[in-house]
Amino acid sequence: MRRALGALAHYWPIAAVFVGWDLWVVLNGYTTVVAPRPGLVLADIAAEPGAYAGDLLRTLLTSLVGLVLGMGVGILAAIAVWSSAAVSGVVTPAALVLRSVPVTAMIPVIARVAGYGDSSILLIIVVVSFFPAFVLTVSGLAATPAAGRDLFGVLGAGRLRTLVRLQLPHAVPHVMVAFRLTAPSAVLAALLAEYLVGTGGLGHLFSTARSYMELERAWGTALLATVVSVLVFVLARGAERRVGARFS
Amino acid sequence: MAQTTPSPAPTLTVAPPAAVALSGVGKTFELSRGRAVSALEDLDLHVAEGEFVAIVGPSGCGKSTVLRMVAGLERPSTGTVVVEGRSPRELARSHRLGVAFQEHALLPWSSIRGNVALPFHLAGRPVDAARVDELVRLVGLEGFESARPRQLSGGMRQRAAIARALVLRPDVLLLDEPFGALDAVTRRRMNRELARIWSEERITTVLVTHDVEEALFLADRVVVMTGRPGRVRHVHRVDFPRPREAAITRSPEFHEAVDLLTGLLDAEGTA
Ligand SMILES: Nc1ncnc2c1ncn2[C@@H]1O[C@H](COP(=O)(O)OP(=O)(O)OP(=O)(O)O)[C@@H](O)[C@H]1O
Ligand SMILES: [Mg+2]
Repeated sequence: MRRALGALAHYWPIAAVFVGWDLWVVLNGYTTVVAPRPGLVLADIAAEPGAYAGDLLRTLLTSLVGLVLGMGVGILAAIAVWSSAAVSGVVTPAALVLRSVPVTAMIPVIARVAGYGDSSILLIIVVVSFFPAFVLTVSGLAATPAAGRDLFGVLGAGRLRTLVRLQLPHAVPHVMVAFRLTAPSAVLAALLAEYLVGTGGLGHLFSTARSYMELERAWGTALLATVVSVLVFVLARGAERRVGARFS
Repeated sequence: MAQTTPSPAPTLTVAPPAAVALSGVGKTFELSRGRAVSALEDLDLHVAEGEFVAIVGPSGCGKSTVLRMVAGLERPSTGTVVVEGRSPRELARSHRLGVAFQEHALLPWSSIRGNVALPFHLAGRPVDAARVDELVRLVGLEGFESARPRQLSGGMRQRAAIARALVLRPDVLLLDEPFGALDAVTRRRMNRELARIWSEERITTVLVTHDVEEALFLADRVVVMTGRPGRVRHVHRVDFPRPREAAITRSPEFHEAVDLLTGLLDAEGTA
């Protein structure tokens, strides 16, 4: 009983969303073509989970691969910038330019260059994931406490050992902040790119369902996308806290 | 043809060659807007091979700066610093230096054992686990090998830093108020332990402390520094035989020396 109350205290906004959604449809007298009732949408998901599963998996996988690649490239670029002023002069302005272009504007251009399909979707997610990891790793590497650097100097550690054993571990909490910031936007970028130029994934499913007037399917996709985004955010925040605590 | 000239006869030196030699050392720190603070002026300090020298002096007189220069972390503005016949940085690069500074700088993501073993990793040597465990035990941290620095008290962290400083059997050991955060009882225990380790290994040591009794108990010579800009005010030779027991701290000679040095420090503090 107390458990149930606790769960209610935590999750009532979710219930409120569904109730609000239902009331909104019923009170306005909308037909399914305008907006289906939540019951119908849930029923569609329950009746044909297979219709969603493949695309859901595809979106998650693309997001994950793109996120890992983008953050990896960002971290490597940060290390390169840290190790050489010359590299820093080239990479940092390029990264800033990349950052100032909105994703929506980038998607058609990237699709033009990389083709309509998974590779350009992946590329878009990589571009979105790159910048926070880059910036936060650079700041993490630079923020190593002076006492630590002194110690490593006195113990005769070279640049590489100092990087691997002092600066990179020190940058881990910073990288995790980047992860928390980027993971939801990676999913969002995946959905958007799939919607605009994709050949599969939840974004694509939404766009096809809508054009065939399968409104329950379209709303079901949107619902799943929302749930996935929220879950990714919650998981990323948890990961940030746990790993951050481990390294500080 | 072999060389026929006889090798020159060894020159008789009065004093043994200094392991650490600061000659005419001055240090000026640039502050903002062209202002500068003179931390040290014309300081001469020679530490013999295997000698234990303690430095005492009023706060801000440049004691830590002296140690940082010997460690190669700070360059003297004037004068020279030579360690084991080389520049301090060279000694550090060959992993022959052990330090425990005021800030312990333990790695927060690493266990106590990992922190004590760090010098092995940085020197690119295989970790001698027995040596690491021995030092952890020596500083009284057994049972905490797997703990994180965050989980230890300030004094325990300082002790871990001392273990880390000793683990590679360095040629030169630099300690900057290593027992600053310890209570009097633990401090005396650590002093006895350090005296014991030191009698075994005879590492050339420079210890900075504000505790006159600690300096007298541990050192061969106690150097009293003047207020800023710091220079050597007085050098006190300590002749208690080693290994030293806690009993010497109760002898009249010990109390006499404590009074003498405390008097000098008080004069500097108010000057
Ligand atoms: N990096 C620095 N930049 C500017 N001034 C400095 C710097 N390091 C030390 N100083 C100055 O040099 C003087 C000596 O500092 P130092 O840390 O050597 O004193 P100390 O004798 O170790 O003092 P304490 O006993 O309080 O630790 C101080 O006045 C300090 O302000
Ligand atoms: Mg100091």
